[in-house]
Amino acid sequence: MKSLRNLLLGIGLPLALVAAALAAKVGEPAPNFTAVDSNGKSQTLSAYKGKYVVLEWHNQGCPYTRKHYESGNMQRLQKQWTAKGVVWLTVISSAPGTQGYVTPTQENQYLQQMNAMPTAVLMDPGGTLGHLYAAKTTPHMYIIDPSGVLIYNGAIDDHPTSDVADIASSKNYVSNALTEALAGKPVADPATQPYGCSVKYQH
Amino acid sequence: MRGLSLILGLMFLALAPIAGGEPVHAKHAQVELLSLETKARPDAKLLVGVHFVLEKGWHIYWINPGDSGQSPSFQWQLPEGFSAGSIEWPRPERMQSSSELTDYGYHDEVLLMVPIHAAQGIAPDGQALGFSVDAKWLICREICLPDHARLQGSWSVGGARKASPETVVLFARAKKLLPQPLPPGWAARVESRQDTFVLNLDGSVTGGRPQFFPLEPGQVENAAAQPVETTAHGLKITLKKSDLLLKPISVLRGVLVFAGGEAYQVEAPVMAAKGIK
Repeated sequence: MKSLRNLLLGIGLPLALVAAALAAKVGEPAPNFTAVDSNGKSQTLSAYKGKYVVLEWHNQGCPYTRKHYESGNMQRLQKQWTAKGVVWLTVISSAPGTQGYVTPTQENQYLQQMNAMPTAVLMDPGGTLGHLYAAKTTPHMYIIDPSGVLIYNGAIDDHPTSDVADIASSKNYVSNALTEALAGKPVADPATQPYGCSVKYQH
Repeated sequence: MRGLSLILGLMFLALAPIAGGEPVHAKHAQVELLSLETKARPDAKLLVGVHFVLEKGWHIYWINPGDSGQSPSFQWQLPEGFSAGSIEWPRPERMQSSSELTDYGYHDEVLLMVPIHAAQGIAPDGQALGFSVDAKWLICREICLPDHARLQGSWSVGGARKASPETVVLFARAKKLLPQPLPPGWAARVESRQDTFVLNLDGSVTGGRPQFFPLEPGQVENAAAQPVETTAHGLKITLKKSDLLLKPISVLRGVLVFAGGEAYQVEAPVMAAKGIK
């Protein structure tokens, strides 16, 4: 992979294309990263080796994110899975001045107000982490297994709408994937089309 | 006299066969239900459409919205025995918002047409047949807003009124934007390589540079460039496979839109390229 990166950089392909070529792919090692969380603490993916890690791209103003927070669905998942030892990292890649951009203080207030329970919230206003994973929507969900391999990339569930009423009849891909993986089974739906608002990257 | 004209006016209103009548003022858009036919005949195919006039900079989505967004959906309430078909999607536009994000949809104005099949036996002459649609859509600029409206329409049974010239023009224009089958002598086939699909379009292909819009999500990387090269048989377009595509596909479906505006439906068999498992 490293030699491919050097080769691509060597022949002068645009950086965006290189990033796309190295994006997170199911069945391959998830790209490592270090980012600062809303409490100012440094978070590194490789430090969580041995645990399952969920990445949740987030934008508190997006109607699709609000569907899962105002209903309590996302908080339920966070509580349920972190109780089982899963690490849940919420990621905010909204650039300053765009929807969903918040300061660490504002984010911590939001977490308290919403009773959200992620392990940490990674502040990514420059979009580095978002581009590394080619995160497209809010929400966009990823699951990394204890050996550091990506085992899920996609939507939170199978109802690509902003209607809270759809949650009850939805198949939750993240819950299903974690249930299967924790039981030592292969993930039945390892890649699905994520849905929601576009991630509000810096232009 | 005044009373009479009021009565006449009310009668006219009651019989007014033009679907919808009033556009609905929605979020950053005006939305109206239009009907090409104002008269319902038994067993006939009637064409209706939801017309979106969008504020500058705002867009709604194609059947495959691309990397984000949501396509509009319609739920119809029709007279007994009538049935609605699927939305006839005009050719989409490509909307790239960042290096890895590309959506497919419509700016400015779009008419989403739906064929309605009239019942075998319908009410006697003179009775208006009301119908309505619950439309849901997402409208976006930098931010996205979900919206919905119930739009009303009616057909007359015996009346002879015609749709307004403006409505007729709108439908004619929308029909021109519908992707057509490939012209005779053209053929599409796809070679599946490690990370790309090579879409070959064989035939005396004209119309300028084409762009491919995948019908199914999760097959083609929407934001990737689509290099076009001429071949001995026509041309080929290289499409980057989506990271979400984990299994081989046997058919690639989509729409090809040429620089000149012509749009064609593509349903291309997918074969593994030589030397690639």
